[in-house]
Amino acid sequence: MKPRMDGLDRLSDDPRSVVDDGSRQLVSFRVGNEEFALEIQRVQEIIRHQSLTRVPNSPDFVEGVINLRGKVIPVIALRKRFGVDYKPQDGETRIVVLEVRDMVLGFIVDSVPQVLRVPIKAIVEPPRIFEGRREYVTGVAKLQDRLLILLDVDRVLECGEVAAVAGQGG
Amino acid sequence: MLPIAEDPELLQAFLVESGELLQGLDHDLVKLEACPTDQQLLNQAFRALHSIKGTAGFLALEPIVRVGHRAEDVLSDIRQGRLQFSRRIMDALLAARDQLGVMLADLRAGGLKQYSLDSLLSQLEQVRSAEASSLSPKVADPPLVPSPQATAPPQNPDSGRAKPKVSAVSREPTAPAAQSMRVDVRKLDELINLIGELVLERNRLLQLTKDVARGRGVCSTSDSPLMHCALRVSFITEELQAAGLRTRMVPIETVFAKFPRMVRDLAHSLGKEVELVLRGQETEIDKTMVELVSDPLVHLVRNSLDHGLELPQVREQAHKPRRGTICLQAEHEGDHILIRITDNGAGINHERVLRKAVEKGLVSEEQAARLSTREINELIFLPGFSTVENPTNLSGRGVGMDVVHSNLRKVNGSVELDSKPGEGTVITLRVPLTLAILPVLLVQVAAEVYALPLRSIEQTSRFVPEEAHQVEDQEVIWMGKEALPLLRLQNLFPDKSASQPAATQKVVVLEAAERRIALVVDGLLGQESTVVTPLAPYLNHCVGIAGTTVDGDGRVRLVLDPAGLIAAAASAGQAVSR
Repeated sequence: MKPRMDGLDRLSDDPRSVVDDGSRQLVSFRVGNEEFALEIQRVQEIIRHQSLTRVPNSPDFVEGVINLRGKVIPVIALRKRFGVDYKPQDGETRIVVLEVRDMVLGFIVDSVPQVLRVPIKAIVEPPRIFEGRREYVTGVAKLQDRLLILLDVDRVLECGEVAAVAGQGG
Repeated sequence: MLPIAEDPELLQAFLVESGELLQGLDHDLVKLEACPTDQQLLNQAFRALHSIKGTAGFLALEPIVRVGHRAEDVLSDIRQGRLQFSRRIMDALLAARDQLGVMLADLRAGGLKQYSLDSLLSQLEQVRSAEASSLSPKVADPPLVPSPQATAPPQNPDSGRAKPKVSAVSREPTAPAAQSMRVDVRKLDELINLIGELVLERNRLLQLTKDVARGRGVCSTSDSPLMHCALRVSFITEELQAAGLRTRMVPIETVFAKFPRMVRDLAHSLGKEVELVLRGQETEIDKTMVELVSDPLVHLVRNSLDHGLELPQVREQAHKPRRGTICLQAEHEGDHILIRITDNGAGINHERVLRKAVEKGLVSEEQAARLSTREINELIFLPGFSTVENPTNLSGRGVGMDVVHSNLRKVNGSVELDSKPGEGTVITLRVPLTLAILPVLLVQVAAEVYALPLRSIEQTSRFVPEEAHQVEDQEVIWMGKEALPLLRLQNLFPDKSASQPAATQKVVVLEAAERRIALVVDGLLGQESTVVTPLAPYLNHCVGIAGTTVDGDGRVRLVLDPAGLIAAAASAGQAVSR
C-alpha cells in the first residue's frame, strides 16, 4: 500500500467536494466499538502504524512521537481520549495525520479509514446519549446499516487536559 | 511583465541592501557625534542615505524618498561646511533614520502604511535653517505644528520624484517577503563542488549495486568496492553538511551593529558617560542564532548601563574616569561562541542582592548566609528577581535576566556572571556555533536508547553499586575525590514495562554550568553526529528532554538535556522526602 492517500488529496481539492451539493465527504474509521468520521478536508494523509517513541512525562493521551518523512510529530491515542480500553496494534491499525491549529499530529484508529459521501439530511444533532461527549461530537450521520459519530477535530484536542497542553504550545 | 516597482525580487534586494545600509548609518552617525570632522564617515553616511533614497525612488516608495531626501539635505549641508554638527541635528538625523527603519519593516511585512511625516520633515528642515542662520534662540526651539494634512507633498521644489502619494501607499499589500541573506560566493562554490562529488559517487554506487545484484560484485568483505563507495558517500555527506551550515554563518557584526546607537541614546537619557568598545565583530555565528542572542544581549547591555555604570560624579568620587566603558567582545571557543559584556562600573552589590532575594522569598535567611559569591551572582538569574526599587522602562521589570538564562539554556548555551564590587562586571554568554548538528553518545536505559550531548559528558565508567550511598534523600556516588548526586533515569521517566537492569551498568558523569551528576545507564552504544530537532511545542515541558533525532532505521530517538537532568536530580531528593 502506498502510504499517502493521493486520491484523497485530489478529491479534497476538487471543488465539488466542498460545494454544497447536498452531501458531505467524510473519512470514517473505528475506535473500539464505535465508528467515527472526520471532514475529509482536515485529513492530510493516512499511514500504517509504525513504531512509536514514548516521551516520558508527556500527557497520558500522547502515545508517543513518530518520524513522518523527517518530521517528528506526536501521535494521540483516540482510544485513550475516548476512554476505550487499550488494544495492541494489529494489521488494521492506522494513523490519521491531520493539522490542528498549525500543528501536525496523528490519531491512532482501529481500522483502515474509508472515504464516503453522506447526504447532509442524514446528519442530525447528537442524541442525548452523547451528553458527556457533546464537546467534541458535532453530529451523527445515520446510514442504512450503521451510525457515524462526527468529530470536531479542534474540539477533540480542546477538551480537558488536552487543552492545557495544547495551550502551552501557543 | 510586472512594472519595476512591483517586482518582488527587486523589492527584496532593496530590503536587504537598505537594511544593511541603515545599520551602517546608525553606526556612522553615532561615531560622527564623537568626531564630527571625520570626512570619511560623513561621506559614508551620505552615500548610505543617498542610495536608499535612490533605489526607493526607483521603486516608487515615495515616503521613503521624502525622508531620505531631507536627511540627505542636512548631511549635504554639513559636508559643504554650511552646517555644524550639533546634538539637535543628530537627534533629527537619528529620528529620520528610525522612521526609515519603521517604513522598511512595514514594507517587509507586506507594504507601506500611511505615515504622518510632517513633523519629522519640518524638524529636518528646521535644523538646517536654524543652525545655518545661526544661533537665534527663538528658532532653536521651534514649535512643531503638525499640519492637519498629513500627506502633504514635499515642500522642496527640486524633489521631482514626488509622485501622487497614493501610488506607494494604496498598493496591494504584497505577501510577507521571505527572509533572505547574503552569502559569500566562495561558500556557494564549495557547496556546489561537493554536490558534484556526491553525484559522481552516487552514480558509482548505483553501478556497484547493479553489479552486486547480477552477482558480479563481491560485497561480503570489508574491503569491497561497495564498502569504499559507501565510505566516500558518508565522507562527502559530512563535508556537505558542514559546507551547508557555513552558508548560514554571518559575522556577529550584524548583532553588534545596533549597539552604538542604543548605548548612545540610553546613556543620554540616563545622564551617563560611556564608551562602547566592540571587539571580534568578524566572528561568525549561525544566522538562526543571531535572533536568539540578539535580545538577550540588548537586555544585558542595558543592564550594564543602567545598573552597572555609575553616574559621572559618582565615578569621579570613586577615583575612576568620568567616562565608563562597556566592552562587547566575541570569540570562538571550540564549537561555541563566547560573547562577553564587560563594564567597569560598580559591580554587583552582594548585600543588596541577598536582601532582595530574601525579601522576595527566593532564598531563606539561613540559606542566604551560606551562599558563596558565585551562588549569589546566580540569584540574579532567578525568575522574579529585580533589585531596582523604581522600575524604569529600561530595566528592572524582573523579567529579563531569567529570560536570558532560560533562552540560552534552550539552545544548550549558558550565561555566567562574574563581578567585583567597585571594579565592574563581566557577563559571559556561551552559545553553540550552530543549532543543527550535535555530537552525541548513545546510551541504553531499559529498552530505550537515548542520545546524550557529548559536550556535557565529563567521563564514563563502570557502575559499582557498592560505591553508591544514600545521604538523606539523595543517592550519591564517589567519583574520584568527589561525591556526586546519582540519577537513575527510571526514577525520572517512570516506565510501566519495568525491566531488569543490565548486569553491568555504567555511570556517565554529566556537567552543565559547573554542576555535575552521575547518570546510571544500562549500556554505552557509541558516538554519532546527529541533527537535533526540538520536540513539538506542546511537549516541550517534558523535563530532561532537549529534543529528538531520527536514527538510521527512521525511528525517533530522544535527546536528553543534561542541564535539565541536573536540575531534576537536585529537586528529586526533595520530592522523595515529601
